[in-house]
Amino acid sequence: MSIHTIGVIIKDWLIGLLAGWGVPVELSRLLIEVLTWAVGAALCIIAIMLAALVFIYLERKVSGYIQSRLGPTRCGPVGILQSFVDVIKLLLKEDIVPAEADRVLHTIGPILFLAVSALAYVVVPWDEGGTVAGKVDAGVGVLFMAAVGSMGLIGIVVGGWGSNNKWSLLGAIRGAAQMVSYEIPMLLALMCVVLQAETLSLAGIVEDQKGSIIAWNFLRPWMWLPVVLFLISGVAEINRTPFDIPEAESELVSGFHTEYTGMKFALFFLAEYGNLLLVALIFSVLFLGGWLSPFGYPDPLRLPGIIWLLAKSLLIVLIVMWVRWTLPRLRVDQLMGLAWKLMIPAGFVALGVMCAVIMLGWA
Amino acid sequence: MNEANVGTTDQLIVNMGPQHPSTHGVLRVALTLDGERVVSADPDIGYLHSSMEKIAERLDYRQYISYTDRFDYLGAMCNEWVFVRAVERLAGIEVTPRCEHIRLLMAELNRLASHLLYFGAMGIDTGATTVFLYCFRERELILDLFEWVSGQRLLYNFLRVGGLRNDLPDGWVEQCHAAMDALASRVDEYDTLLSENRIFIARTRGIGAITAEEALAYGFSGPCLRGCGVPYDLRRVDGYSLYPELDFEVCVEEGGDCLSRHMVRSRELRESIKIVRQVLARLPEGEVNVPVPRRLKVEPGEVYERIESPRGELGCYLVSDGSDKPWRMHWRAPSFYNLAPLDRLCRGHWMADMVAVIASTDIVLGDVDR
Amino acid sequence: MTTNTRQPQSAWALLADIVGGAASVIKGHVVTLRNWLRPKVTGQYPYRDPAKEWVPKPGYRGDFALIHDPERPGGLRCIACMACANVCPDKCIHIIGQGKGKERHPAAFDIDIGLCMYCWLCVEVCPVRAITLTPEYHNVAFTPQELIRDINDLKARGEGIAEPLLPVPIERSVLQPPTAKKKDVSEA
Ligand code: SF4
Ligand code: SF4
Repeated sequence: MSIHTIGVIIKDWLIGLLAGWGVPVELSRLLIEVLTWAVGAALCIIAIMLAALVFIYLERKVSGYIQSRLGPTRCGPVGILQSFVDVIKLLLKEDIVPAEADRVLHTIGPILFLAVSALAYVVVPWDEGGTVAGKVDAGVGVLFMAAVGSMGLIGIVVGGWGSNNKWSLLGAIRGAAQMVSYEIPMLLALMCVVLQAETLSLAGIVEDQKGSIIAWNFLRPWMWLPVVLFLISGVAEINRTPFDIPEAESELVSGFHTEYTGMKFALFFLAEYGNLLLVALIFSVLFLGGWLSPFGYPDPLRLPGIIWLLAKSLLIVLIVMWVRWTLPRLRVDQLMGLAWKLMIPAGFVALGVMCAVIMLGWA
Repeated sequence: MNEANVGTTDQLIVNMGPQHPSTHGVLRVALTLDGERVVSADPDIGYLHSSMEKIAERLDYRQYISYTDRFDYLGAMCNEWVFVRAVERLAGIEVTPRCEHIRLLMAELNRLASHLLYFGAMGIDTGATTVFLYCFRERELILDLFEWVSGQRLLYNFLRVGGLRNDLPDGWVEQCHAAMDALASRVDEYDTLLSENRIFIARTRGIGAITAEEALAYGFSGPCLRGCGVPYDLRRVDGYSLYPELDFEVCVEEGGDCLSRHMVRSRELRESIKIVRQVLARLPEGEVNVPVPRRLKVEPGEVYERIESPRGELGCYLVSDGSDKPWRMHWRAPSFYNLAPLDRLCRGHWMADMVAVIASTDIVLGDVDR
Repeated sequence: MTTNTRQPQSAWALLADIVGGAASVIKGHVVTLRNWLRPKVTGQYPYRDPAKEWVPKPGYRGDFALIHDPERPGGLRCIACMACANVCPDKCIHIIGQGKGKERHPAAFDIDIGLCMYCWLCVEVCPVRAITLTPEYHNVAFTPQELIRDINDLKARGEGIAEPLLPVPIERSVLQPPTAKKKDVSEA
């Protein structure tokens, strides 16, 4: 039973319930529709928060192990509760808004950042035919994801501007420039996959890779360039080392979230890890066959697709963390140079190759 | 906005420091930025000023040794060494050969520890956090040696006028050999993570470049000057202590940029390991202390003694009036001179380069401010 | 990775640059992976298991102790000569002496270890080697008052210590061996 069918059953039950109370069916349908979205959004945000907490813990452990340290060990067995304790600490902290800051923008910034990050989750195909809010994908999942994903920088810019701090402002401007630039190679890589699958629906892209591991996109030679491009621009989109210049702690103190404390800071922080998961999920969907099992379709192990999806994303997340704790940071102009002089041309090359492959009928 | 301003950009003035993650302590730089370009960088020092030179006038020679540890806290053994050398020269005291060997050994170990910290700081300032912890891991081996022999890990107060606090404990030499072997096997890893990494090279090559003439005019010394192609190493130029008898290379890199300074230190790590091994091999037996009166009075006179500290030429200028306290003393602190051309080094570069430049000059603010 | 500092001249040079850059980056990852698999070097402080507690080498300059001498009044070797209080650069030793001549001993002996810089000078100047620093490093406190060691505390800490602690036998340090005691006092 997929997530989608559970949703339908619950909806039918609610409509019946409301009808019993004398509510007109049209109205209750509308209500239910709104409710579904609200629940979906809430689920998304809770899931993101939980995932972010787990990833923060994971990151601390991974960085610890890479750096010959132990990482958190105190809260709970092997420190597993550390992130939860941290969140409680952040919740209890005083929320300080700098005296000259723009209160409204200062508050909106982190909310926007998290909201945008959460919104993109709506189109992730978790399982066969299942996104969080039913069949919302509607054949334009890729478009939606790309459109929403590029809005994240608004949160950064608003927060950075509203802080009335020069470091924050510099960080925000850097962030805007970086995210706009890396959007392009990312979309070019996405286009290759779209051409391959001949659909704009993320679920459709997974369907296209149906089969065991050999049928997945990342094993097709013409996909290798897009894989690299997507991974690099994905890491850049979520502002992680070596592309973490918007927050570059050794240069900009803490970049756009320098002036944030307490829960607002936590929102930025959680959203950042939420974005990390999102990029990993999208990467798995695009190139690693999403919810498909590596042993063929249908899955001989009969595991739910979501487990495969999460396992693949976890792998990507670990790789991204490994990169983070290895490389130095690029400078802002080098970052731009990399995007515009190397990755965008490479993206066009990849697209050209993809077109050639389709015209030759190999796809 | 008036007419003249149309089409131009406003300059942004930011305060980098004193509470900034990568100013290596409490340096404040008033930065004028045009976008992300540095228009001018004006270092403002003095936050760590502790009147080290004035304090010397109220303390006798033995008491002051523990203060010398505290200004350049990363090169404490070198500071002690230059101070006791100055006093000994003024008082005409000859130390025993074993003592001289151990002092040299300590200075080189201290250079290793300091350069390791430099590597880590350079890594963390360019964003490679992991190198920092690797370097600290290896630095720990050296600090353990210091802790064993002197009882402290950072501020040793180990050297005495006319000798040392104590001899090397049994087994120390073996542990030192083991630490050098461990370190030698890890140095290549730092190079893979930093010196050979293309991102790091891109961040440092051509950044903060200075010509040899300018560097000399600014009073550069140490690895910073050797990074400009000037083979000026007091260990060879002055040939003090046992250095003339030891086989080591003066590391020089052309270029004068951050990468050259970095490579000089990277090579010096290996040279220092070589020196330590040589000294350990030829360490003579015997006494470490010569008798020195408890209340040491030195002849009136003045002396300027200098050695090669991890940061450059560390000089101690001492004037005695014949009492048991210095009448006046002055430190020639290498960090101060290496920081001086900051504006010259950073102007026109990106703000992010500023961090790399500060890290590559390897300043210690305690040393700058004294 | 291309940079703005070097511009490759041809397409091949550009390709070589990209491959070289990628190789250097991958090599870095091999290093971090290798370290990932190495044993971890940090420990946990404070240990829940006392057996794992880090014990510094003898001669580590930690908390203070006064050395016992059961034959003397007060049970301490200290003769309240004030040498340590005078030499201390931070002036953090406060002593009140009692008695005359051979009977002289400290009635009060306070060391403010919050002020102390662990320079070891007090140990060095003591003519009878009555004071020492011990490897005890658990000297954390919540208030400055708790950081003042009084004579009873110092005496208790000196339990079982015969001579000032050093990593080497006492003859191989600046401390004068017991036989040289007389000469030493006169010299000072
Ligand atoms: S160790 Fe130094 S500072 Fe501390 S009490 Fe002794 S003389 Fe004073
Ligand atoms: S120097 Fe020694 S004997 Fe004199 S007061 Fe201090 S501890 Fe006592």
